[in-house]
Amino acid sequence: MSEPLLSVRGIHTYYGDSYVLQGVSLELQEGRIVAILGRNGMGKTTLIRSVAGLTPPREGEVLFKGRSLRGLPPYAIAQLGMANVPQGRRIFGSLTVRENLLLPTSALAGGRPAQAREGRKRWDLDAVLQEFPQLAERIAHSGGALSGGEQQMLAVGRALMANPDLILMDEPSEGLAPRLVQQVEAIMKSLRAHGHAILLVEQNFALAVSVADSIHVLSSGRFVFQGTPAELARDSEILDHHLGVAGSQTA
Amino acid sequence: MGRVGIGLALAAFAVALTLPQFAGPFWMGLVTQMLIFGLLALSVDLLLGQTGLFSLCHASFFAVAAYTTAILQVRYAVPTLLAAPAGLVAGTLLALGFGLAVRTRGVYFILITIALGYIVWGVLHRWSSFTGGDNGVTNVPFPAVGELRIGSHTEYYYFVLAVVIACALVYRVLIASPFGLSLRGIKASETRTRSLGYRTGLHLYAAFVLSGLLASLAGVLYVYYNRFVNPVSASFPISVEATLMAIIGGSGTIAGPFIGSGIILGLRNWVSSFFELYATVMGVVFIATVLWAPDGIVGLVNRLRAARARRKAL
Repeated sequence: MSEPLLSVRGIHTYYGDSYVLQGVSLELQEGRIVAILGRNGMGKTTLIRSVAGLTPPREGEVLFKGRSLRGLPPYAIAQLGMANVPQGRRIFGSLTVRENLLLPTSALAGGRPAQAREGRKRWDLDAVLQEFPQLAERIAHSGGALSGGEQQMLAVGRALMANPDLILMDEPSEGLAPRLVQQVEAIMKSLRAHGHAILLVEQNFALAVSVADSIHVLSSGRFVFQGTPAELARDSEILDHHLGVAGSQTA
Repeated sequence: MGRVGIGLALAAFAVALTLPQFAGPFWMGLVTQMLIFGLLALSVDLLLGQTGLFSLCHASFFAVAAYTTAILQVRYAVPTLLAAPAGLVAGTLLALGFGLAVRTRGVYFILITIALGYIVWGVLHRWSSFTGGDNGVTNVPFPAVGELRIGSHTEYYYFVLAVVIACALVYRVLIASPFGLSLRGIKASETRTRSLGYRTGLHLYAAFVLSGLLASLAGVLYVYYNRFVNPVSASFPISVEATLMAIIGGSGTIAGPFIGSGIILGLRNWVSSFFELYATVMGVVFIATVLWAPDGIVGLVNRLRAARARRKAL
């Protein structure tokens, strides 16, 4: 197996005084999707924040492209080729759709657009608007005027503009109608086909099972399961105790 | 800027050019002052309107630049060509130091800038052997470059007008640049902007220093207009007033700070001619702005226009 793109090694992360991640490890290969499932308050978002450098782990280590991220501020981590699609979209409501998309491409943000990996689609404004035609129609609108689904597309488009190797996605299905969740699923599969790796954090069991190459189940700051979606679907104890999904519903 | 905006700007330019034809010296002096304080308000708004930082120490850069130029011209007979740039450099150097305040945010940033402002005021006020204390520095000459000298308030008005227009154009380019976009990103959410790869602290620092440079320019223009400078220029109320000008006119716009400066200085002149408590009137104006036009005059006009366009569309 080649060297993983992202390697999380036994991290312990505190949020203020509370001990959230209690020794978590995972590996993510290039062009793969790894999903983290878990109920509310189990540390899913903290895991994303630990990787992105927003809440650095107190112990353990995160390696990205073989390089330790210890001590690196979030902007430097982003410049290494990691983009974030945060929970609740978090687009810039006061900026236009165009400005939202152009922000990550500026030379001031590390000037990454030219660095798209060889053989992989290079994302620029035109390519992103082609991928998400709805955004093209609303290019001059302010981000805050978009619908939830459009905001999600904008958040993904904004992440793509930096041509990242790894995209962190925190509950992209949150607050979206089922039809739009299907669209998010299609987008993630398309991103993988384009060669981007995704670390996905979700509560939506069906979505995670459908897109992920492998799944980790997080419960009270520890992984209680790691395996393929098929293995998870057979593990009724994990489903019952840690996800609250009855086995029958997943069949 | 839409067609209406360009039309308004051209009309304002035409009025500004022909103003000395029909306005007397008193009015020309007042309008010159409005332009200079509009520039100071614009410098404050580079932070407030573009990045969201609320600074209350801009009178410091204004005053230090004014004092530097005045002292060099009056006491050391340094020519304008050196004294004026020296004022800009002094104010900007101060901004390089004070800019470290961007390590803090929110109410702490406001408090630190207030404290820094008081330090400068205190030094100018108490170090009388050098700054002239309460009397300040008097008898500043009109600016002159070689044989070319400005000999009247009307000539100086045209000079200030040219500088203000140049500043407005540069400011427009600056906020439309990728740097300007990053500042608006930071204003909307610093964390998100940082996650996109921006060193937001550095960008805020750069904006602070640029803003200090602009305030220094206003200070140098002021000292040649006023012909003397005293510690009042560095006082807290000046910083507050510049901020109010930006808010009343329309924060985040270029015309706003100048409109606000015109309103505040105009009202103050008018009201103080028959009512002692003009500060009270200013307070009422500010409260009315916050209640009914929180985006200032420019925001109010835009809102009314949008409402009319909607009515037309129906």
